[in-house]
Amino acid sequence: MHRWENKTIHIKKRFKLTDDTYILVLREHIDFTPGQFIMIENPMATRKPFILGYFGEDTALAVQVKGEGTRWIVNQSVLRAHYPLGKPFIPPQGKGIAIVSPASLTFGCSMFRIYGTDVLLGSRKEILTDIPFPSVIGDSAFADKIREIKGGYDYYVVNGSRGMEKFVYDTVGEGVFVSLEEYMACGIGACKGCAIETKDGIKHVCTDGPIFRGDEIWF
Amino acid sequence: MVLNLRSPLAVASGPGGMGEYMEFIDPETLGAYILKTITLHPKEGATPPRLRAGKDFVINRIGLENPGIDVFVEDVASGKYNYLFEKVPVILSLGGDSPDEYKEIARKSLPIIDRFIAVEYNFSCPNVEAGGLAIVSDRMVLKDIMVSVRDILKDTFLIAKFGIEGIFVEQASDMVKDTGWNGITLINTIRGIVKTPDGYIRGGISGAVLKPIGMRAVYEVRQRHGDMFIMASGGVYTPEDAKDYLDVGANAVQIGSALFKNPSIIDELYEGLSDKSS
Repeated sequence: MHRWENKTIHIKKRFKLTDDTYILVLREHIDFTPGQFIMIENPMATRKPFILGYFGEDTALAVQVKGEGTRWIVNQSVLRAHYPLGKPFIPPQGKGIAIVSPASLTFGCSMFRIYGTDVLLGSRKEILTDIPFPSVIGDSAFADKIREIKGGYDYYVVNGSRGMEKFVYDTVGEGVFVSLEEYMACGIGACKGCAIETKDGIKHVCTDGPIFRGDEIWF
Repeated sequence: MVLNLRSPLAVASGPGGMGEYMEFIDPETLGAYILKTITLHPKEGATPPRLRAGKDFVINRIGLENPGIDVFVEDVASGKYNYLFEKVPVILSLGGDSPDEYKEIARKSLPIIDRFIAVEYNFSCPNVEAGGLAIVSDRMVLKDIMVSVRDILKDTFLIAKFGIEGIFVEQASDMVKDTGWNGITLINTIRGIVKTPDGYIRGGISGAVLKPIGMRAVYEVRQRHGDMFIMASGGVYTPEDAKDYLDVGANAVQIGSALFKNPSIIDELYEGLSDKSS
């Protein structure tokens, strides 16, 4: 029994969520726990990590086009990838909310589906498709919303830009978890490339994360 | 001493970590798994960020993150790596920050040395302040280390891993022969610098760009030493790459950064090589 699989996946549907972020809906069902991720082969020398999630009932990925590798990925119908990687996120007791950017909307869907959390989408860009969750557009509206929901939940898991995660942590404090992004090569704990400095010393996003307690992180 | 590998393919030290890739590899296709370099003292590794990739290269500054030889010896003795030893022949990679450390770590490895089919000494890591590349710039110091290690690890198949910086590979191979070591690995990463939106990453370059350089290194050493055991390392992504290295004189081929592109690449290379030889 292998912990990870290296397989071909097929994209059965893709659509634009914002002008630079796509939702890729997979034909395959992948078993994963929220927080785990997938590494996808592309023209660059290392595979790229994407957090696993859902869109509706389907396994799905959100891919923000940042360069040549991600541009290539969103245009394919067949991809090679290994998964599921990373430490599963087991939330604390109580009611939670997933605060996500467009590039992690599918993670928000998985938190809703598996743990029954609320989901809030924060975006700087116009949302181009209907989503079944509330959303706020722009930094100011996002900041107001975070202040409004502060204290209303037992935990807050944020998956977005470092600035977004820092704002939520600074505003809410205790009970905040953040999903970190760091350049990866192996995704399985072999290469030690995705190291980050935390308050507890060096940790590796691929095996210790990608989701960490907010109070562990130097923002 | 002879090292007979069941396959000419080996996982290179560094990218392969401590055996994690065996999840993706059919053991029968692999000649040896070379572990990440262990040093005398624990190393936390370099300050992040540590990695970037282009189309044909990876730059890393991992900095030999490892638990140190004492913890490693305990881990081996307690059975932590038995899953790996049971599947595949394993080669230990050792390094240090000073000549004394290179010798001391040889002594400390003695209680577990029989678990390994060979030891590869890393004389070429570009990402540590002392040791690695710095050691090879002084031939007398390098020779002293190699003579001492040979004396300590009398019955071990010793392989010296060199890059192309700090010493010519021809001189390095002469040193291997003169000090009674058994083989040489060519090449390691080459120092490079890559600009990122947040600054610069200084580290070692690996990947496809290294292949012509590695080919020349292997070729020159084979011309000089017809009977030396040579492991090639640098830019092997296809069966043709592996065959090219074997054709210029390598006895075996290490696969490193290509694992980042495809963790199942060893099986695919093995199949491709079998097709070519049939």
